[in-house]
Amino acid sequence: MRFEIKAATGVTHLAIEGELDAVSVSELRPDLEKLVKGRPTVVEVDLSSLRMVDSSGVGALVSLYKRVRAQGGSVLIKGLRDQPLAIFRLLRLDRVMLGADTRSPPPAHKQSKSRH
Amino acid sequence: MQVVSAVGEAFNNIVLHGYANRRAQGHAHAHEQQVREQQFREQIGSVDLRIQTRRGYIRIELRDWGSGFDPRAVPPPAFDTLPESGLGLYIMQSFMEMAYRSGRPNLLTLSKRYVERSSAVRKSEGAT
Repeated sequence: MRFEIKAATGVTHLAIEGELDAVSVSELRPDLEKLVKGRPTVVEVDLSSLRMVDSSGVGALVSLYKRVRAQGGSVLIKGLRDQPLAIFRLLRLDRVMLGADTRSPPPAHKQSKSRH
Repeated sequence: MQVVSAVGEAFNNIVLHGYANRRAQGHAHAHEQQVREQQFREQIGSVDLRIQTRRGYIRIELRDWGSGFDPRAVPPPAFDTLPESGLGLYIMQSFMEMAYRSGRPNLLTLSKRYVERSSAVRKSEGAT
């Protein structure tokens, strides 16, 4: 797992690559702690190069999301695909935490019969 | 993907909870990486992993000699509160059939039936 945190004007960028799991998450947590303590306004999390995530990795991301929002900031998670996206959807996090590019499509409405 | 996720959660569950009391004594003056490696060596608990496959079916047994648990006593995640923990068992049970027997050893069985795709389909989907 590799990660990078960059603070730009108004937005803090966090990119995570590889596998975020019960072992590797311990490397990320201290930096997430610092990030939250900096009271960021907007945190953009790029997970486009994340190959695998487990429940511990999800827990760390949910914690980040909740703590930043509790301080009045916002978190936008983007780029999820494959296994990580499947996990987010299974845990019903996609509709709350993800950007529009990776959200589940809304349920299809039954169409009324068209008139002929 | 679902099998890998479920088995990963099962294994981590054993390491993090079943063998939770096996703590190593790190050396405060040692380099952090050395301490981490020392901890991994000293926290070793045994996990016996057996995989059985036949056409359209996979069964994985994990045996461990740590603390057991009662899966029925673990409540499902309260999704509306955005839970940060207690998700591993839900992932296991969602992706595979799960059975658990507490004892010496504890036995966790994960199984799954699946539809085999032809090599032509896999190739067209770009599978590796």
